[in-house]
Amino acid sequence: MSPVLSVRNLIHRFPGGVHAVNDVSFDIAAGETLGLVGESGSGKSTIGLLVTRLLAPTGGQILFEGEDITHLGAAALRKLRARLQIVFQDPWGALNPRMTIGHLMEEPLTLHGQGDAASRAAEIRRLADRVRLPAASLARYPHELSGGQLQRVSIARAIANRPKLIVLDEPTSSLDLSVRAGILQLLDELQRESGVAMLFISHDLETVRLVSHRVAVLYLGRVAEQAPAEQLFANPAHPYTQVLLSAHLPPDPLVKLRRHEVVGEIPSPVNLPPGCFFAGGCPLVRPDCTTGPPPFEEVEAGHRAACVRITDGTNHLTPAEERP
Amino acid sequence: MTLLDVQDLHVEFVARGLDNQLRIARALNGVSFTVAAGEVVGLVGETGAGKSLTALAAMGLLRPPARIPRGSIRFEGQEIIGQPDRVLEKIRGRRMAMIVQSPLTSLDPLKRVGDQLVRMQRVHGTARGAAARAKAEAMLAAVRIPDPARRMQAWPHELSGGMAQRVLIAMALVNDPALIIADEPTTGLDVTVQAQVLDTLRDIVAARNLGALVITHDLGVVAHYCQRVAVMFAGQIIEDGPVQQVFARPAHPYTQALIASTPGRIAQLGWTLTGGTPPDLYNLPTGCLYRDRCPRATTACLAPPPRIAVSDSHGAACHFAGEAA
Amino acid sequence: MSFTHVLGIARRSPTFAVGFGIILVFAVMAALADVIAPLPPTLSFPYATLKPPGTDPFLWGSDGNGMDVFSRTIHGARYAFGIALPAGVIMAVVGIPLGLIAGWRGGWVDEILLRILDVLRAFPTIILALAIVAATGQGFLNVILVVGFLDSPIFARIVRAEVLSLRNATFVRAAVAAGNPEWRVLLVHILPNAILGATAQLPLRMAWAVRISATLAFIGIGVQAPAPEWGAMIRQGSEYVISGEWWVALFPGLALIAMVLGLNLAGDGLSDLLDPKRRATGK
Repeated sequence: MSPVLSVRNLIHRFPGGVHAVNDVSFDIAAGETLGLVGESGSGKSTIGLLVTRLLAPTGGQILFEGEDITHLGAAALRKLRARLQIVFQDPWGALNPRMTIGHLMEEPLTLHGQGDAASRAAEIRRLADRVRLPAASLARYPHELSGGQLQRVSIARAIANRPKLIVLDEPTSSLDLSVRAGILQLLDELQRESGVAMLFISHDLETVRLVSHRVAVLYLGRVAEQAPAEQLFANPAHPYTQVLLSAHLPPDPLVKLRRHEVVGEIPSPVNLPPGCFFAGGCPLVRPDCTTGPPPFEEVEAGHRAACVRITDGTNHLTPAEERP
Repeated sequence: MTLLDVQDLHVEFVARGLDNQLRIARALNGVSFTVAAGEVVGLVGETGAGKSLTALAAMGLLRPPARIPRGSIRFEGQEIIGQPDRVLEKIRGRRMAMIVQSPLTSLDPLKRVGDQLVRMQRVHGTARGAAARAKAEAMLAAVRIPDPARRMQAWPHELSGGMAQRVLIAMALVNDPALIIADEPTTGLDVTVQAQVLDTLRDIVAARNLGALVITHDLGVVAHYCQRVAVMFAGQIIEDGPVQQVFARPAHPYTQALIASTPGRIAQLGWTLTGGTPPDLYNLPTGCLYRDRCPRATTACLAPPPRIAVSDSHGAACHFAGEAA
Repeated sequence: MSFTHVLGIARRSPTFAVGFGIILVFAVMAALADVIAPLPPTLSFPYATLKPPGTDPFLWGSDGNGMDVFSRTIHGARYAFGIALPAGVIMAVVGIPLGLIAGWRGGWVDEILLRILDVLRAFPTIILALAIVAATGQGFLNVILVVGFLDSPIFARIVRAEVLSLRNATFVRAAVAAGNPEWRVLLVHILPNAILGATAQLPLRMAWAVRISATLAFIGIGVQAPAPEWGAMIRQGSEYVISGEWWVALFPGLALIAMVLGLNLAGDGLSDLLDPKRRATGK
């Protein structure tokens, strides 16, 4: 089956020469969630904006349901937005403060010509019910709702026209823990019901592990590693992934931490080195790391990492001392 | 030795609504805890639970419309509440120091890092001149800033987020305080940087036998960097105890729900519907404040729950804390 | 809008309440001028010129033409509103679309707006207004148009600044992502959020309009005596200040000050009231 979204060699430069996205490729199939993890400056949010064409890419190709949407015109793009949706991080800022919740939920239906006023009203009630939003909140304004409820409104807007792909840009990062779980559960249910594909962008490894089928780890706008979620967390191949996972603090005091430290400086995205971007911080750096871009080697089936050490199997950091 | 002793602290805000009625938000409702020398206490809770407010009260930084109708805050045996600013200014930044969330806005953009560290000492009369500069450089080294002599000359905007947070820790420590209050010290930092900053903070606290109060919403930070934890909900501490015990056997239904909603537990145990809105601080119910969300609530919960000890150092404010879940 | 609401607003912004109260008094004066004023404003008593206040029937005395200063001052409110309201409408009608397009699209509209603003900053507006009114003829309508159009770019700049900060707001991005056409993003999502901040500026700009029109009349351009316009009255009265007939200039002067003050207070108070960050907590 052909993927819902195919991203090929995506490149984006911001004014001022910032290399935000550097040759990124991935696919997402129907019913699948791809987790996109990375720290600040990894380009993960930029990729979300490029994929939904809220930004125009500098280079590369974006295929959505087989159609090349990289250079789609404004009118065609508007039509496409019914099937290609995005949910943003900040639920308080993502909804027009002067519109009621009901109005906000009706907008995507109106824009894409869904039925008459009566059928839209019925559809809004169904959507509100689906995202577990009390019907009374439809008459309210965004500032009267909690962050979790607002994020449910954004999700309702996103699913209103039964999209094929939803980009979720840190959808739970600004929510409290108990609220977060409810949103993640809702997304999980929606995917099971409709088979929508999801691109889940987050810096939170635990959340990504929970919701993703596959995970891509970004470092300075390049995919360092890509693998099925369980394989990535069980057997991280790229030294950066290993460092990232080792820095994570699981909410369980009994889990012992084994920290791998980064040694050097992070290169500037304005002036990236020719070789592996992580070479400057990598404890396993060797001369051929800095000569050219590392090959995207297969580690096991469906699991690839961009490191020169994969082929000879010397890519694993020695476990650091155990920390109390 | 107990450094900070907060007992039955109440804080409320008075506001006037559009209808011209005075409304009182009861933000803290009887918070009690202690921080002793050599221990790191985590204060954990969700938005609006009153974590930061507790820290501000302890620093004597509450200003109207906030007011403290009841309670006591003792630092090194001295009452903080009601003290004039000139007394508090001798304590703040000297014996008790605070590390805040946004390091870059907390540094003076017009002064070099070294000068800010020197000024901090001069203001409190702990050192001046060459001695202060030497101490400043030593502090930068202690927070593991590479090449501290060069960093003394750096401007705040030249620092990365992690470096700025280290400088802030150095600022907090430069006058050798007894107590550190860290309010979300690593929120907003990248995972790899967060780990390094927290390691630094913990090592210094241990080496100098300081007391530390770490305010966070991140259970991972509590689990790995605190010895004791106090869980806050609606302006109350609903559970407190040694970290290992609280995580292994959470006694309050709220703590249980909180731990059950971490992604790792969801992966193990499946979805357990949690959430719900916190109680309206303008209109608090009597009895247990968690009652409306609690799966175990009975009529007994209409009465305020006492703190029930589940071990000698672990207790929860729940009528059923002693019983198995 | 119950009485307690009014009281609530007054408590949250006493500045606005006082300013609005002053404007309200002048509005009543303007509306009911014929009823309040004991004499027609241009009725001349040739044998009773420059009578001091209290001389029957002149409450505030009479002017050099033997006209009642009190009645004329009351009627002057009509001219004040006659300039403030249409000038405000012109500012809004011209300034809002201009600011909206300049802020959203940038490009040449923005460039032209900014250059016009540079020119306005470089020249004292009063000189500019003076030159244009003198060149185009001195009718009241001309004054309205000149004052309205001169201030439109300033109003446009306020709207432009709001739009610039909204352009990158997440909800605007979300509106585009939902499939809104550009005009709808601009009119439905940006405009209602942008004009709120600009609304608070409107009374301030209207105060400016009142002042400028009075200044023009004072210089002798614009509204001409014997029309009961405050600026024209002050000009006329200024001739008698030295000879001791102070009342001719004083009362219209006080009225002008009060009106401008009222509009300024209302504008300042409005920006407090509309600023969500300064809203009292409590729902």
